[in-house]
Parts: sequence; structure tokens; C-alpha cells
Amino acid sequence: MERILEIRKLGVSLRGIGQERIRILQGIDISVGKKESLSLVGESGSGKTITAMSVMRLLPNNMYFDEGEILVCGSDITGLEEKELRDMRGSDVSMIFQEPSAYLNPVFTAGTQVIEAIKGCEFDRKGRTLNFLKEVGLKENVFYQYPHQLSGGMQQRVMIAMALINNPSLLIADEPTTALDVTTAYGIIELLKDMMEKHGLSVIFITHDIALAVNFARRIAVMYAGKIVELSNSEAIFNNPLHPYTERLISCLPERYKTGDRIRTIEGKVPDFRNLPGGCAFHPRCPYRKDICIREKPGETIKGDTTVRCFRYGENVEAE
Amino acid sequence: MKIFLRRLKHTNKISFFSLWFLLFLYLLAVLADFIAPYPYDLQHREYALCPPILPRFFHDGRVSPGPFVYGIKVINPAFKEYAPDLSRIYPVRLFTKGPERTLMGFLKTNRYLFGVNGEGKIFLFGTDIHGRDVFSRVLYGSKISLSIGIIGVAISFILGLLVGGISGYFGGKTDTFLMRMVEIIMMFPFFYLMLALRAAFPPNLSSVQVYLLIVVILSLIGWASLARIIRGMVLSIKEEEYVLAARSLGLSSFRVITRHILPATFSYTVTALTLSVPGYILGESALSLLGLGIQEPYPSWGNMLSVTVGNLRILTTAPWMMIPGFFIFLAVIAFNFLGDGIRNVMDPRNW
Repeated sequence: MERILEIRKLGVSLRGIGQERIRILQGIDISVGKKESLSLVGESGSGKTITAMSVMRLLPNNMYFDEGEILVCGSDITGLEEKELRDMRGSDVSMIFQEPSAYLNPVFTAGTQVIEAIKGCEFDRKGRTLNFLKEVGLKENVFYQYPHQLSGGMQQRVMIAMALINNPSLLIADEPTTALDVTTAYGIIELLKDMMEKHGLSVIFITHDIALAVNFARRIAVMYAGKIVELSNSEAIFNNPLHPYTERLISCLPERYKTGDRIRTIEGKVPDFRNLPGGCAFHPRCPYRKDICIREKPGETIKGDTTVRCFRYGENVEAE
Repeated sequence: MKIFLRRLKHTNKISFFSLWFLLFLYLLAVLADFIAPYPYDLQHREYALCPPILPRFFHDGRVSPGPFVYGIKVINPAFKEYAPDLSRIYPVRLFTKGPERTLMGFLKTNRYLFGVNGEGKIFLFGTDIHGRDVFSRVLYGSKISLSIGIIGVAISFILGLLVGGISGYFGGKTDTFLMRMVEIIMMFPFFYLMLALRAAFPPNLSSVQVYLLIVVILSLIGWASLARIIRGMVLSIKEEEYVLAARSLGLSSFRVITRHILPATFSYTVTALTLSVPGYILGESALSLLGLGIQEPYPSWGNMLSVTVGNLRILTTAPWMMIPGFFIFLAVIAFNFLGDGIRNVMDPRNW
């Protein structure tokens, strides 16, 4: 099957003060095929957005790739020049963001901004924009409205229209529903599914809501401290989570509570990238902690459909 | 725009009035060829330094059928003493005929707004030492004095916005280089830099060349401080999420700067723009006053004033020669009031 996106052993580091080098992402391995959807799940600060920004090549100036490659439609983008990147952004890969109100320019109408996103020459830009607005479920008058006149859901639909009007093959949705209420979020999810069906779009869906991820995506990658700790299809993740972190995440879902239960959380907090714990990064919070977890970094173990980084399923040590 | 005007009207009466006053001045400048009764270089030798001759309405204690002027009787040509000649009456007519002039570069007209036929003369603001009508010259001069402000501001703002935008957006070495350049320009005192630049060019240029030269000199000095402020604003605006979104759509840096970053600075820019127009008008006046600006016989408000400077006799016996200075004052103060008003209206805290 044709791979739209393939990330191989990607590592991203942060240039700190002086010569300090802080590793943000390590050994990220994901691939997305045509019309496929992959969800990146994890707490804030686990590296989901950095992964997305790496694909767009929109990392902050002080971050750089130190290993691995990113193949978009078969060609590596880690070494591309700014001009080639511009051709890629929007037409091969697009992105939508968490807070649509902040990502739309307040001084232009929605229509102007969608028109601006159109690449290449075309006579009837306005007609195409109007059609596309209709396709994402907006009325024509939205064309003439300013972002502040639109509701959050409508703003997100405008963002989707901007991102998809050039018919890209991959859409990165960075927590697109976090700022929206549940019913609006449902509408956006349905719209994305619809677009995947119609335009043969692949989607990387970034969220911290594992229930939403399971609902939306066929495959799920759970991230923790800059690594993918578990990668599997969504049923396996939901029904049979292997990694203790995934397990915790799922057991925290409110849907699993009975009335009167205390809200469950994962003890501890996401580690600071400057100061990652030795061995498995999750070990300070892990209930199944063994001696080896503190000493060694777990490598990838394949169990059924699932790839997992945990010593409970094998003694695979990560090669440095 | 409508909302803007309404708000300006309600919050700041003076600046609203200034806006209309300035529009009126610019209208006069545009229509100078139609309104001025005489060409700017027409010399009435026999009537040099004649005091203002205003239209009258009463003759012999009776209301006349329309406004008229008396003829001018020369009492003493050496001391420039004049008196109205009550025996000669010339009615002031609207749309009088005269030699053809070109209006706004393409409209041909041989009728002027008003004038006096035959021997009679109408000098609303008197005449200068060569007997040229000061009123007509003020009108023609406003073409230069007022347009220099607008054109100069336009050039220096385009420069300032671009340099500031590029500097702030790209940062790093580009930023350092451009800002050091700005500092070099800002290091020199404004007025001496202006004089030095003017002196660097040959003095015997045609009037159009001089005009363009002055505009360029003034705007080359004016853009630096603006670029600096714009850079600061861009530094903060470029962190806005919609800039990231625009980049993620694959827009070029130039487009991101001009479409998404610079418009966000406009509330400041428009105010600064209005407030800096007077600087250009005054700059031109100062250069012309020193004889380095617009050359005779072409009038500008500055060089019309230069005749009076250092000539006490003219200053005391012909105070109407100061009228161009009064116009400079009005234009400058109106721009300042307007800028003030715009600043208040643009400031979201005052809504």
C-alpha cells in the first residue's frame, strides 16, 4: 500500500543554553497510508505537537533534526529548502490547530483567508471557495464574515476549508476539538471522516483524549516523554492496552466510572525534557516497576499487532 | 470607515473638524488652477505690495446689486502707497473668462471661479514685491506644500514598514544589520542631515527635479524611526498563532509579512502617519525658507515666506505677506489634531 507519510527513527533536539542539547523526540517510527488515520495520544508535553511540527517543518528555530528521515509521498523532507517547503505545505501536507479563533487572522474575512490559501492560478477562486465552504458545512454568508463573528465550530470549519482546499494528501489535526464543546466536536470529527472518504485524505489526529482517538482513528500511537511507547490498532489499545501508561490513560476515562467513584489520575507528572529519569522514562509513575526499568531503556517489543516499549513483554534493551 | 468617522465625530470634535478642514485645503490645492484669479507668475508691476483688495457690497451708502471692487489709485509708487479709486467700479463676477489653463493635468478650462473684468484687480491677500497676487500663489503653493507631506509620508512609510517587517520577521543577522543602519540614520540631527543631503546635489535643477529631490530627502530621513517601532511590533505579532497557520498553508515570507503581520500594526501606523505629515510640510518650508527648496517663480508656502525673513520693512508695511505662514500653521495644527483624534479612536481602551 502506498505510504503517504513515513517517519523513520526521527530524533529532534533542542539547542539549549551554551552547548547543551536537550533531546525532545527519540526514535519516532510511524507511517500512514492512503485514506488511513493515525492518532497520536499523550499528555501535554509528551511530544505530539513537536512530531506534527516536524512533518510541517515548522519547528522553532532552536530545534533541529538529529537523526532519521520524514518521507512525505516517498520523498525525504528533512533537507528541503524553504522554497520547496512552501510548495509542500498546503498542497501535500496541511495542518489545523487547537484554537481556531487564534489561528484565523482577525482582520480578514473568512472568505479572503480561504481564497488566500488557494495555490496556483485559477479564474474562479471565489466560486471554488464558496463551493468548498458549502462542502465543509458552512453557509455562503460565512464568506463575508470576520472570524469574531463566527462560532468556534464554524471557525474550525473555516480552518478545515483553508487546509483542504488544495487537496492535500495528508492533514495533521492538532487537537482540533479541544477548544470546542462535545456536540460541535462530534460535528468536526464527522466532517473529517467525511473528507477522508471523499478526497482520499489521510489524517494524523493529535489529541489527549484517548476515547476520541479510539473513536476516530484506525491506528493509535501513544506517546510519552518524546517516545512512542505503544503503537497498535485502536481496538487493541482500547480493549487490551499493553503499556502501563496506556492502561492508566484508559482507566482514567470517565466513561469507566461508576457513580460515586473518585476521579482516577495517573500519579506524578510528565517528566521535564531537561531532566528525564534514567531507564524507562515512565518508571517513576509505573505500578509494575522492576529493577531493570530503572537501569535500562526498554526497546521495542512486538506482540501481536502491537509494538510496545516495556520490559513486561520482553527484555529488549534499546540500542544507544 | 463609516463607523470610524462617526466615532471620531463623537469623541473628538476638533479632530473631526480638522479632517474636513484638511479635505477642504486639499480640494483647494487640486482646484488651484480653477480658483486662482491670476497665474502664480503674473506680475502686476504697477501694484507691487498692494494691500488686500476685498470685494465690497456698499457704494455711497447704498447696497450695490452685487459684490464689486474699486479701482486702485497709486498715490506714491516709490513708497507703495495705494488708495481705492472710488470713481471706478468693477463688479466681481463668477466664472470669468481668461486664458486657458489645465486642471489636474487633463481638464482644460478657460473659466475661473471668480475674477474682475477689465482694468480692475482683485487681490484677496494683497500682492508681493513683484506685484504677484498672494492669494493665487498661496493656492499654487499649497499644491507643493501639501502634496510633499502626503508623498513623503507614503514613501517613508513603505520603506519603514518593509524594513521593519523584514527585520522583525527574520531576526538574527538581517535584523542586526538593518537596525544598525537605522541607528546610523537616526544618529544625525534631522535638520543638518537634510541640509547636507540637499547640499550634496547641484543647485541648478529644474523645479520638478527639486521637488522630487526634497520629497526623497525628507522621506529618506523619516523612515528610520518608524522602521524601528514596526520591528518591535512585528517581533510580538509574529508569535501570533495565525502567522503560524499562514506559514503552514505554505505562504511565502513576503506574503506572510505583508498580509498577516503588517496589517496588525496599522492602528499604530495610521496615527503615526497622520502625525508625521506636519514634519514634512515644515521640512519643505524650512528648506525653501533657506532658499534650498522650491525655486522662484514657483511658489511654495515656505519660499513665499522667505521674502519676508530679514526684511523688516516688508514685515511691517505688508503683513499680508505672512499669510502663507498662517496656512502652514493651520495645516500643521489640523494634522496634529487629526492624528490625536485618530489615536484616540484607534485605541481600544477608549471604546
